[in-house]
Amino acid sequence: MPNKLNGLRTLVGAATLGASVLAMTSALAGEVTVWCWDPNFNGATMLEAAARYAADHPDFTINVVDFAKADVEQKLQAQLASGTTDGLPDIVLIEDYRAQKYLQSFPGSFEPLGGAIDTSKFAPYKVELASLNGQSYSVPFDSGVTGFFYRTDYLADAGYSEADLQDITWDQLIEIGKAVEAKTGHKLLSVDINDSGIIRIMMQSAGTWYFTEDGQVNIEGNAAFKTALGAWQRVLQSDIYKPTSGWTDYTGAFASGEVAGTITGVWITATIKANPELAGKWGVAPIPKIDFEGATHASNLGGSSWYVLASAPQKAEAIDFLKEIWASDVDFYQKILIDQGAFGTLTEARNGPAFQASDAFFSGQPVWQNFTSWLAEIPGVNYGIFTEEADTAVAAQLPVLKDGGDLDEAIKQIDAQVKQQTM
Amino acid sequence: MLCGGERFDLARTGLARTERLNGWMFIMPALVLLGVFMIYPILWSLWMSFQVGRGMNLSFGGFANILRLTQDPVFQRALSNTFIFLIVQVPIMLVLALIFATMLNDSKLWGRSLFRTAIFLPCVTSLVAYSVLFRSLFLADGFVNDFLLGLHLISEPIPWLADPFWAKIVIIMAITWRWTGYNMIFYLAAMQNIDRSIYESAKIDGVPTWARFWYLTVPMLKPVILFTSVISTIGTLQLFDEVNNIPPNAGGPSDATLTLSLYIYNLSFRFMPSFGYAATVSYVIVILVGILSYFQFMVVRDKRR
Repeated sequence: MPNKLNGLRTLVGAATLGASVLAMTSALAGEVTVWCWDPNFNGATMLEAAARYAADHPDFTINVVDFAKADVEQKLQAQLASGTTDGLPDIVLIEDYRAQKYLQSFPGSFEPLGGAIDTSKFAPYKVELASLNGQSYSVPFDSGVTGFFYRTDYLADAGYSEADLQDITWDQLIEIGKAVEAKTGHKLLSVDINDSGIIRIMMQSAGTWYFTEDGQVNIEGNAAFKTALGAWQRVLQSDIYKPTSGWTDYTGAFASGEVAGTITGVWITATIKANPELAGKWGVAPIPKIDFEGATHASNLGGSSWYVLASAPQKAEAIDFLKEIWASDVDFYQKILIDQGAFGTLTEARNGPAFQASDAFFSGQPVWQNFTSWLAEIPGVNYGIFTEEADTAVAAQLPVLKDGGDLDEAIKQIDAQVKQQTM
Repeated sequence: MLCGGERFDLARTGLARTERLNGWMFIMPALVLLGVFMIYPILWSLWMSFQVGRGMNLSFGGFANILRLTQDPVFQRALSNTFIFLIVQVPIMLVLALIFATMLNDSKLWGRSLFRTAIFLPCVTSLVAYSVLFRSLFLADGFVNDFLLGLHLISEPIPWLADPFWAKIVIIMAITWRWTGYNMIFYLAAMQNIDRSIYESAKIDGVPTWARFWYLTVPMLKPVILFTSVISTIGTLQLFDEVNNIPPNAGGPSDATLTLSLYIYNLSFRFMPSFGYAATVSYVIVILVGILSYFQFMVVRDKRR
């Protein structure tokens, strides 16, 4: 094992060295460094925010570094664990599911922002996700309010209009999928069968999670979880989707027009709009409902927030920048909503013109008003600190379920694995 | 006389001491570096393997981590995957390497150095670079599926990276491609040291080709075969880059390609960090490498007698 450990240490060391060279140059330039993961989405919104801030602050420069989301998370974790702060950015984007893991594992590494920024201006659930011991640590960014994004032309060919997609169940979705394939030859969904994100969507739509409010594992005996997993097993066993593996494969399937849609968070808008030739051919419907008392058509997938590192070399400037643009500029939120589909959580911004207008790209549907009203219906859940572990356990059982595995047995396995991993 | 002799001894010890001191001085830089970057981390990781807790909040937990190992289904999955890779891949690779080496050792073979370079070349490529290439080759609509579909060998695409069984096959193919040439070079070098006259006399005595290979080449390569099987075993137990980079979800699908090293990485950098437990799992690899290497030495030693 010494070799492996050395390997990891070398890796961390090399990352630190490389990054500290970066940090040195940035320190000289007085540059604010930001880590995020999607150049079409959060990277683009950050650049837009920086351009606006620079208009009043001519000295302000920003360095937006975007790399794969998993790499951002793992690099941040490795670097915080190493104990050296050289090379960490000033601002980092963290997905809401993981916020508490970082805050609790690395106390003192993140700057409390409650004093500098008026958190009451944001959606309360976002602030709560990033609060620990009464301190809030983030400037909330986007919501992951979910929708069923579909090709209006394919569904029209199969005889379905917008009205037919309201208030449906997952089993009805399977019927629609069969009809779409029979009439148009296109599969209905692009599905990464190893991704358990859809289970998270279904669970939250019914107001439940892998864990209870006080952090206990809530899997075996959780009727809503069983209903969700059962509904998804029926989808996996149907022939209505194209199985994909990995992000590029998954997005490529609907971006190329091969499949008719996907069920995911509002942030996928940036990827969908990256193909302007499909303008007017997309629509958004509410997600199907699981067959469970109290389940809704509204849920959340992902969503993230900006955090300032306590060790940031340009800390004061970074906080002021976040405060002036991200925590106040209503006009900015209108622009990133239209351009990137970034569904901000600054409450005031919801009254702006972009949130009220209908979107020509989405066949003239009032999608942003719809998302706003769905957002209000999302049942609140406490994600806890072990979502990654639970996700891995669920993902391990999905291929088994697809091949007709027993639902109760799979739940038992997931439950045992999560309990073991989180003890 | 006695006095003189004593002085001589003293002088000699004085000289010896200076020499010894000089010697230590010369190796001191290497020793210090070894101590700081090798011995200290090893001891520290041993200490860490008894720590429990999340993130930076560590505390001494005694044997709690070892108890956790015995109850951890993911660890058992990672362990069995690692052994499947070991048991299936290492023999295939070594046999292939031996066959290639024998073929390329034939001085009458046309384009010998070209083939030798071609087979060795994969092992100078970066692990991550070739992993990414393999991923794109084996995507659902990647080159391999297109090729097989084009030849009408299969009627629908094989879910290479989405199916637990096929994903293991892809990993095995990838590491075999990457490392066969490396092992072949060892065999080739060893074969060039075998005296040609042995083969000549065997030929004169009418020993057939297969028997010359089996009863002459293989026994004489035994030390090299032992060496390659030990380093391949260690390499496979530490398998990380390929399983982290080839499947679109590292270790997936369904943990089918999760290895011990990747699990250590997940425990430290993906999950709620438990560095102590990760160190415990890493010591499992140390112990396994020790045991397996010992057995391999034993097997060869017995046969030599």
